[in-house]
Amino acid sequence: MQIGNQAFTAVQGEDVAFLGTRPIPAKPYYDPDWFEMEREAVFRRSWMHIGHVCELPESGSFIRRELEVLNASLLIVRGKDGQLRAFHNVCTHRGTQLVEEAQGKRPTFSCPYHMWTFGGDGALLSAPDFESFGLDKKDCALKQVALDVCAGMIFVHLGNNPPPLREWLGDLADQMETLPVARATTFSEYSYNIAANWKLTYDNFQENYHLRFIHPRSGRSACGPDNPFGYPKEYAFHDPHRTQTIWTNPDPQPTETIATAFARLAPRAMAEGLMEAPHGRKYFALFPSFFMLGTPLQNFVHVVYPISATQSRGVIRLYWVGEDANASERFGREAVMGVAREVHSEDIAVIEAGQRGLSSGALEHIHFQTQEALCRHLFNMVEAAVNAYRAEQTA
Amino acid sequence: MSLPAGFETLEPFVVTWVAHSASKRDALRTFQSAESRQAFYDAMKPLLVPALERLDTVPLAVHSVEENRLMLLTLSFAHVALAVEVQGPDETKHGINRQRLPISRAPADI
Repeated sequence: MQIGNQAFTAVQGEDVAFLGTRPIPAKPYYDPDWFEMEREAVFRRSWMHIGHVCELPESGSFIRRELEVLNASLLIVRGKDGQLRAFHNVCTHRGTQLVEEAQGKRPTFSCPYHMWTFGGDGALLSAPDFESFGLDKKDCALKQVALDVCAGMIFVHLGNNPPPLREWLGDLADQMETLPVARATTFSEYSYNIAANWKLTYDNFQENYHLRFIHPRSGRSACGPDNPFGYPKEYAFHDPHRTQTIWTNPDPQPTETIATAFARLAPRAMAEGLMEAPHGRKYFALFPSFFMLGTPLQNFVHVVYPISATQSRGVIRLYWVGEDANASERFGREAVMGVAREVHSEDIAVIEAGQRGLSSGALEHIHFQTQEALCRHLFNMVEAAVNAYRAEQTA
Repeated sequence: MSLPAGFETLEPFVVTWVAHSASKRDALRTFQSAESRQAFYDAMKPLLVPALERLDTVPLAVHSVEENRLMLLTLSFAHVALAVEVQGPDETKHGINRQRLPISRAPADI
């Protein structure tokens, strides 16, 4: 299919034919029973992104993260030895959650209930009247969770025998290491709660078919006469992950203030060598629910965290290398965060409208076209994982 | 004067548009009237680049109180410019959706 004149050619149907063309069943996008299987088949068997090393700069730094999909509260700590570790935020005495604060710095963690006190390495250091338990302290350490880092980003895995993170990421790991996020020291953040299934939410952000209809103003620069839908140049599949290479509009016509904002971020990016980014036009979609756009001046990460079959939470961060150098950079970062949030704000309502329609049960199937190939690939990957899990359960 | 010399025309906007977090600056954009946004935009736009150039001559950590106020006005302008230049007549509807994405952190707030 040719879109517009010769300047842009969209990805052809035959390029993604291996994904199939079947209608996709609608039920997995709202069915609680399917979601219960996804918890174990998808999320307990995947590395999940939960933070960045810049949040834990010193020994004793900690963050607490909630992973509702696995009913887990996690405590991520930088220990005295400088190592990052993740633990269940659960006292090994009687299960009380140890930490309420979202982040902070402490040498030890004491349970508020009976004052069992743990070190940054998870070891039980002290417990009142401990001799009355008849236990050995070494058997009472916090329950550890697999943690690894790629490109400065912290990932955890709550399943058994996880593969090494870099093996899970494949060649995308080295590509992500070239992006600003790998050297980030600070970030901007906003989030949302949405009454929608995690796949439906995520799919919105991996297709551009909707851009001209939902983002007629904020998405104007992403479309042009050559490419009126703003379709990507390329899709690539790295099972279970996928990427798209975004199209560069030769005449984006940003507003004057947006142009000023990006220009104010360019000196740092040039000085840091960030502009020569071989993967800077790539959208990384890591299974199951992680996105990252690697552009040098607006490197953002967006993770959709499932809560239930029809509830999710999204967290978006824009990562920055170095603290604000001057007023221009401070202005640029505030404005560029606003530009990204401007677009994301427009998506929430239409995703929820889609969920209401699907949850009504009116449809047996939904449909993906060639330019929604990434949505199809996600479903294929999820379905394969659920089917494998089902087979194990019945074996 | 509460702002550095050369930016006197922005004095009437200090009371309303100086806010100390990105979240509050976004709320100003949302809850100020269209007329208030436009008036601030019209006054600030021609002074944005001069303000940044003036502020860039001094490290952020040693900005005077007056310079910090001017900095915060430029940050509020970052939000208001999106309302005026991008959303235009759709700003009211957009504001309703935007409130669902609260800003929890920005480098300027730290």
